[in-house]
Amino acid sequence: MKLAPFESRWAEAAMQTIYPGSLDIGLSDIRAMDVGKFLCELMMHLPWKAALGLRIAVWVVALAPWFVLRRLTTIAQLAPEDRERMVAILVASPSYAIRSLVLILKAMGALLYAADDGVRTRMAPPRPSMIPLRVKRVHAA
Amino acid sequence: MHPFDPPVGFSVFPDESLPEGAVVDGERLAHDTEDAFDYVVVGSGAAGAVAAHALSSAGFSVGVVEEGPWVRTREFGDGVLGAFRRMFRDAGTQVMEGRSYVPLLQGRCVGGSTVMNSAIAHRTPEDILDEWATDFGLGDALSAKLLEPHFEALERELNVHAVADDALGENNRLFLDEARAHGLPARRMHRYEKGCRGSARCFTGCPSAAKQGMNVSYVPWSLARGARIYCSCRVERVVVEYGRARGVVARTVGGPPHVARREGRRVALHARRGVIVAASTVQTPNLLRRSGLRARALGEHFQCHPGAGVAAVFDAPVEMGFGATQGAESVHLRRTDRIKLETLSIPPELAAVRIPGIGRELMNRFGAFAHLAMWAVVVRAEARGTVRAGWGGRDKIKLSLTRSDVERARKGLALLARMMFDAGAREVWPGLFGVPNVLRNPDEVRLIDEGPTDPRAYGFITTHLFGAARMGLDPRTSVVGPDFQTHEAAGLYVVDSSVFPTNLGVNPQHSIMAMSRLAAARIAETRARGVVGTRSRPPPPTASGAAA
Repeated sequence: MKLAPFESRWAEAAMQTIYPGSLDIGLSDIRAMDVGKFLCELMMHLPWKAALGLRIAVWVVALAPWFVLRRLTTIAQLAPEDRERMVAILVASPSYAIRSLVLILKAMGALLYAADDGVRTRMAPPRPSMIPLRVKRVHAA
Repeated sequence: MHPFDPPVGFSVFPDESLPEGAVVDGERLAHDTEDAFDYVVVGSGAAGAVAAHALSSAGFSVGVVEEGPWVRTREFGDGVLGAFRRMFRDAGTQVMEGRSYVPLLQGRCVGGSTVMNSAIAHRTPEDILDEWATDFGLGDALSAKLLEPHFEALERELNVHAVADDALGENNRLFLDEARAHGLPARRMHRYEKGCRGSARCFTGCPSAAKQGMNVSYVPWSLARGARIYCSCRVERVVVEYGRARGVVARTVGGPPHVARREGRRVALHARRGVIVAASTVQTPNLLRRSGLRARALGEHFQCHPGAGVAAVFDAPVEMGFGATQGAESVHLRRTDRIKLETLSIPPELAAVRIPGIGRELMNRFGAFAHLAMWAVVVRAEARGTVRAGWGGRDKIKLSLTRSDVERARKGLALLARMMFDAGAREVWPGLFGVPNVLRNPDEVRLIDEGPTDPRAYGFITTHLFGAARMGLDPRTSVVGPDFQTHEAAGLYVVDSSVFPTNLGVNPQHSIMAMSRLAAARIAETRARGVVGTRSRPPPPTASGAAA
């Protein structure tokens, strides 16, 4: 169920649209996180039904310019502003299936993006009060 | 380095100092194998681990079979993806199908869902037990009096107590303060834990083994009493011969599922006295069906507690990453409105999906994560669904929430949104399609009140599952009798929440464990009286409930 290279490029473009990063608040772009490798591993571990759902999501978002923007191109060829506008329309789609498929990409992308050390530190700075517990006893009831 | 590692050379975690030969890892098993025990327990979650402990403590030899791997405390990371892949069923992608798709999270590892839940202890509400007694004809078979000593024992052994001050965290404190201000009785969660550090990492496995999941409590304790566990072994069927359960046949699993199914080794475990099925509400009915049981009620009457969260941004930091993952609740509306309100701290990877928007809008909101609080409503849903075997051997779960269920969830979300504004939130994110992503003043909460009743508009998720092999007197409408033994096969017992006639309205782990302990005590007592190998019903339970 591995994604073909062109599907991987589409997925990367979609995830980059959702998680573009922000220099202002110190969040890096998802492209700095090896999206291709992540997708490859993800497809290997997902059950077939979930993997199929992810693949359909990639195709729907990739070809959405056809029916959302009336342009015969894929998401990878769009300018960043157009991509964002288009994905925002899909997320707000009255069709449950369409918006759910885009949410799959958002959810899968989050597993990579928000797991990045830099992003995590920016989102949830570690607390100095979290002192590691070093010694515990083995319980025996 | 694991932040909670003990000093080098000093093994302290309960899942590390296990008796030699007590753990058979299916991922490493090089050949087919067989073994024999008095009892074989299928599943090592809340129900299975407690039953194994009770039976091994009563002097029986016990073999436990667990489909998932044993992920040790030392291996727990803080990443959601790693936890999903290794410890959750279907890598966390399991869904309940109906009018909407509702994610359904289940553990698939030694300890089951207790490894990644919030360890919340609620005794079975008495009105629910009364309902079972009258509406389902169970009489005194599951009374509060019978369960009392089992609840007490569990609370003692697993150290149940209210969340302590130093592990409470701001998300929980805000909820408690605001609930009181709204005249809503609320309390700190009562949890199974010993020395919680407030790492808010319950969902990915407690890194300090403070949470008393089965992986660090009843499973190791059972092994210390002579039990043996076969992990990464999926039970294909219970062997039923001449109307009596004789053992189980399992296959080892490991690595990608399609590879594991092809290459798995055969593991045959013979049960001299009985087989105890505790595989969960979803897996139990399908296992029984694969084993030849044909009860009409099998896979029917499935129920759940769907939940939905509402998030809010505060001016002051909330830091969901510190404090009990779920540390505060209100069950005040359980009976009148069938809802429970609670806190829910989730890691950034899961929170990201609940943060509204995409692109620059989403990134700007990521920056506010430290100021984010999240509370949730859990519904005691009326909807009933089914559990069947799906294509490719997977479980197929179907349930559509009723309009009343959705209206109740909506009411709870609106109440939580009001509480959040009153607590000082500058923005509330209802996560409800058809309602603005961001509400900026309390007047806008009416938009939730008037929101859609279509379940597809909500971001429901569920973890509490019930029914599908329910208990009752009539074999035409139930699968097991009040003695937890199936109507169809002697010596085949079901002790997980699939036997619950209905859902509860509160977190079920405590009820599951108490019922399992009661069942194991009854089984042990019955066997001690020498009633073995017949299809006749065992004698009714004693007044003490055969409490150990």
